[in-house]
Amino acid sequence: MRGPQSETGFNDWTECISVRFDLSFIAPEIGFLLQGAQLTIEVCFLALIGSLIMGSLVAIARTSAARPLRVIAYAYVDLFRNIPFIVQLFFFYYGLPVIGIYLDAFPTGVVALSIAGGAFASDVIRSGILAIDPGIIEAAEVSGLSKRVIFTRIVLPIALRTSIRPLGSVFINLILTSSILSTITLNELTGSARIVVSDTFRPFEVYVVLLLVYAALTYLISILIGVLHYRLNRNLGARVT
Amino acid sequence: MRYTSFTPFDLVLLAQGFGVTVALFVVTTLIGLLVGAALAVVRYYRVPVATQAILFLTELLKNSPVLVQLFLVFFGLPAFFHINVTPVVAATITLSANTAAFIYVIAVAGIESIDRDQVEAARVFGLTRRQVLRRVIAPQALAFAIGPLTALLVNQLQVTSLISVIGVVDLTKIGNILNLRTLQPFIVWTVIGLVYYVAAKLVAWLGSRLETRLRAYSAWKGL
Repeated sequence: MRGPQSETGFNDWTECISVRFDLSFIAPEIGFLLQGAQLTIEVCFLALIGSLIMGSLVAIARTSAARPLRVIAYAYVDLFRNIPFIVQLFFFYYGLPVIGIYLDAFPTGVVALSIAGGAFASDVIRSGILAIDPGIIEAAEVSGLSKRVIFTRIVLPIALRTSIRPLGSVFINLILTSSILSTITLNELTGSARIVVSDTFRPFEVYVVLLLVYAALTYLISILIGVLHYRLNRNLGARVT
Repeated sequence: MRYTSFTPFDLVLLAQGFGVTVALFVVTTLIGLLVGAALAVVRYYRVPVATQAILFLTELLKNSPVLVQLFLVFFGLPAFFHINVTPVVAATITLSANTAAFIYVIAVAGIESIDRDQVEAARVFGLTRRQVLRRVIAPQALAFAIGPLTALLVNQLQVTSLISVIGVVDLTKIGNILNLRTLQPFIVWTVIGLVYYVAAKLVAWLGSRLETRLRAYSAWKGL
């Protein structure tokens, strides 16, 4: 399949590509890569739910009337947005066992991604909440609905569905960020690609394919988000485009 | 003293790692600015084929993990082209290309933010397309782009932490080394995180100061 490199004798690198860029060696590894992809999807899906919950809670805290709540929520967002994810990840992965919490790489990854994603999601949801017509909230208050009901039944659904597009880019970022989980021994898509590389010694081909797979995946998701945005907001007419 | 405890020399290590991070950040930002702006100019002149190729490449760079790009450059290029790539070179290439892709988008938006009327008026006065770009579009586009640019740079500063994975001894790598030696992850990663935080805040502050300076010329000063 691959000849000894000294015998290739190419002078021109374009010649190298046309002859040596051969992807057939990946075929037996596809099953293994798909397992990694499945893990990536599982982690990202759980982290999406986690960061939506975190994001909603923090967004509510940031728009609440109580000042201490606002300050705490702002500090959380500010900290987790300005510290590199890999540092946060190491903090959780190496730090939690010290205080007696033993978690595998998978739950640690989900927790770290949820917390970091939550900081970004909360900003999006917050601007969604602030964009709600105050008349709607006043109408709900006049109708005698409790604060909790107003938040869970009126404010949050409107904020979530009008900000589905920016939430989508947060999700896409989450998928790209999940590749960093390979540094804490979680063999998701990037991690399993690293294993394939060490088995086949073909890093260039494997990583080019990986790059294209990630790009295709995020492209697909951005299309799906566009469709979702349209379907969720069609009754709002021209107000949300 | 146990070898696991912190020593004053650790501060030197920390400063060293921070220096590497800052140096790579500054260098890749400058290269990224040049390349990204050059690509935007190619688009401004509507060069056929090149414009589409740039669009494809920048989209690919924006929509794939930086970690994979790093692996491609650091492990892939040497294996495929039989060239030597040190970790620092690989980090510089990847981060510059990545920054350039995002700056290209900002620069294009900046160029397009200028009213067509202004461009047409300048053309009527007999300015060439090049002069329009230099004298009319560039100064205004810069003032427009500085906000998104600051946000991007704050983000790119954090992205530099990934180069520790391919063995560049930056701030995060120093954190790894200290963590392995002292087994005090909470202290080590809190300190490393705080250093990054302060650096990011500094970048944001510099950006907002520059923005007010650049906008001062176009602000309405009254009659």
